[in-house]
Amino acid sequence: MHKFMKMFFALLAVLALVVPAGGVLAAKPIVLGAPLSTAFLYGWDAERAIKLAVDEINAAGGVNVGGTKRPFKVEVIDTRDLEAGVPVSEALLAVEKLILQKKANFIVGGPVRSEAALAAMALLSKHKMISILSTGVLTPKYHKIVGKNYDKFKYLFRISGEVVWMLKGELVPALIGVGKQYNLSSMYIMVQDVAWARALGKILGGIMKKKGWKVVGHQVYPTGTTDYSMGLVDAKKKKAQVLLLAMDMPESAVLLKQWFDMKVPALPFGTILAAAEQPGFWKATGGKGQFAIASVVNAGNAPSNATPWTMKFVNAYKKKYGLEPEGYGTASSYMAVYVLKDAIERAGTLNSDKVVTALEKTDMMGVYGRIRFDPKTHQIIPANDPKKGAVGTIFQWQKGKRVVVYPPSIATGKILLPPWMQK
Amino acid sequence: MEIIIYGVINSVTLALMALGFTLVYGVSRLPNFAHGAFYVLAGYICWMLLNRLGLPYFLAGLIGLAVVGGVGAAMYHFILERIRGMAISEIIASYAIGLAILEGLRWGGLKGGTFILQPFVEGSVDILGVSVDYQRILVVVLGAALVGLLWLFVNQTKLGLALKGMAQDERAAMTLGIDSDKMAVVAMALGSVFAGVAALILLPMGSIVVEAGYHVLIMAVAVCIVGGLGSWTGAVLAAFVIGFAQILTVAYIGAHWQVVVALVAIIITLILRPSGIFGKQKELEERV
Repeated sequence: MHKFMKMFFALLAVLALVVPAGGVLAAKPIVLGAPLSTAFLYGWDAERAIKLAVDEINAAGGVNVGGTKRPFKVEVIDTRDLEAGVPVSEALLAVEKLILQKKANFIVGGPVRSEAALAAMALLSKHKMISILSTGVLTPKYHKIVGKNYDKFKYLFRISGEVVWMLKGELVPALIGVGKQYNLSSMYIMVQDVAWARALGKILGGIMKKKGWKVVGHQVYPTGTTDYSMGLVDAKKKKAQVLLLAMDMPESAVLLKQWFDMKVPALPFGTILAAAEQPGFWKATGGKGQFAIASVVNAGNAPSNATPWTMKFVNAYKKKYGLEPEGYGTASSYMAVYVLKDAIERAGTLNSDKVVTALEKTDMMGVYGRIRFDPKTHQIIPANDPKKGAVGTIFQWQKGKRVVVYPPSIATGKILLPPWMQK
Repeated sequence: MEIIIYGVINSVTLALMALGFTLVYGVSRLPNFAHGAFYVLAGYICWMLLNRLGLPYFLAGLIGLAVVGGVGAAMYHFILERIRGMAISEIIASYAIGLAILEGLRWGGLKGGTFILQPFVEGSVDILGVSVDYQRILVVVLGAALVGLLWLFVNQTKLGLALKGMAQDERAAMTLGIDSDKMAVVAMALGSVFAGVAALILLPMGSIVVEAGYHVLIMAVAVCIVGGLGSWTGAVLAAFVIGFAQILTVAYIGAHWQVVVALVAIIITLILRPSGIFGKQKELEERV
């Protein structure tokens, strides 16, 4: 009898451990549809980050939906929207497939290219599908459209950055800062031939002119360009002191290699510069990436101590994938899942309208600072202080490391000039 | 001065991209639309051998060339030989194979900008006030050497003369005992190796990306159409015409118009001289 009782209690103990986990696994999963351009950095890093967050949440018991624990499940479809020549309709098909075929409850991640995301807005609204954009798409048009027609587009949120704040809040002050530090006041703009980059180059050039800088050249390069010699020679000839770069194509690495080889005496100041963002960039260029500056839009996409969660996230990503968060779209995609979990739990349901209300009331400290959405436009509220809002990150490659140089509240170093620019 | 220097570099770059394509077409009248895929494949194999197995650069490159040469020959022998003479089928089949290779590489992990071959020589030099990196100077030297070697091979070796014979008149060559299919296999292998050589010379200036395969194919086709399909001299000349036109466009109009140059060149050629500068394909129709 004694032996029987022992076995009975042991069995009970095992069941007590197994049943809740089994219960979560058995519960109907909440499907997160992720339309991402997976062949490109802003797609694959977002996919990895979403999966990391989902794994963490599921391992901790899942999402509490009105008293029932349910796991997240991720469905990814490649939108190919960052690939040259792929029509926007491909991304729309991917979104539609996620909604109708994969039965997604929520959309997180993309579409990644602004043009595709703008085109997908009506489709998402038609299905009352909550979408949290977390990578790519920097156009201010996105949240302006939400603000102008709130009732129709209230299901759409963006947890990553947008270009107006990036310009006024980060890039312009950072440029002015480095200008004052090293007495630089002329720039040569080199951007990719895509909507966001053309607009960014034009607007930033205009702002800097008003601030007393000279724009000595402006080149727009087709996606896939592999030779920048003529532009660099021109920049050198016109005595540009800063190269303002905006490119999301991997070939931007070529530009930086050429810049290094030709010893162009102008600081390569990247806004969005996909190739330089990746941790593997240093090794791939054999150290020629030294001094390249790039923005990764949100803190946490490169190591820093913006919040207590930042390095926790960086280390978790490193443990799972063997490298640091790779660039823009990583931290924000990770946070999109956590913010959604938080909103669903507060709403106690998956009902779109109720989750929208909960998302609008989001106020949590995340990987890149305080996370709140503007209640009218559903754009994340940015700041240069992580206690006040979502902070960005501009870093410079220094001795093989991505050293955060802006904003000052989280900076771990200062911008350095290459030896051939030092007087 | 920069227009002349970078015009020459750009022209030699284009010639390198196109030589393999025009060689295959010249001998077997086969438009090899997998040409760009061989370019990327050779670079990727070399990168893998260098970075994963730690082989020396020279050996990694050699293996890369041997593999693409083998793949090219196998592609002709097992697939294209069966549809030879049916131009549309040849284009579809070779393009499909190229697509499978390129997208297969992407699926297998060739993503992002970190697949980079290091230059043979680091640093740069000022030529008459224009800064040029050594790798680009090497491109011109190696490009010229390659064209020279090709000329010697075609005119001085038995195999080269057989290929030349095939290119001039396949039936006449066959009556002299030249095996047409065997020569086509050789031409395809050689053309693929040329694509690989171009990759090993040019990729250290850029990065190995899938899109390069499509870009190289477009440029090779443009150069060959303008120069005259199958004409090696025409290809080199057309490479200089397009190369300088591109550099002039970048200098005086804007960098984003440079991709249009090659396509405009195709349209103008097809309107004014459909056979291209040195092409013979439609000479009779043109005269009529």
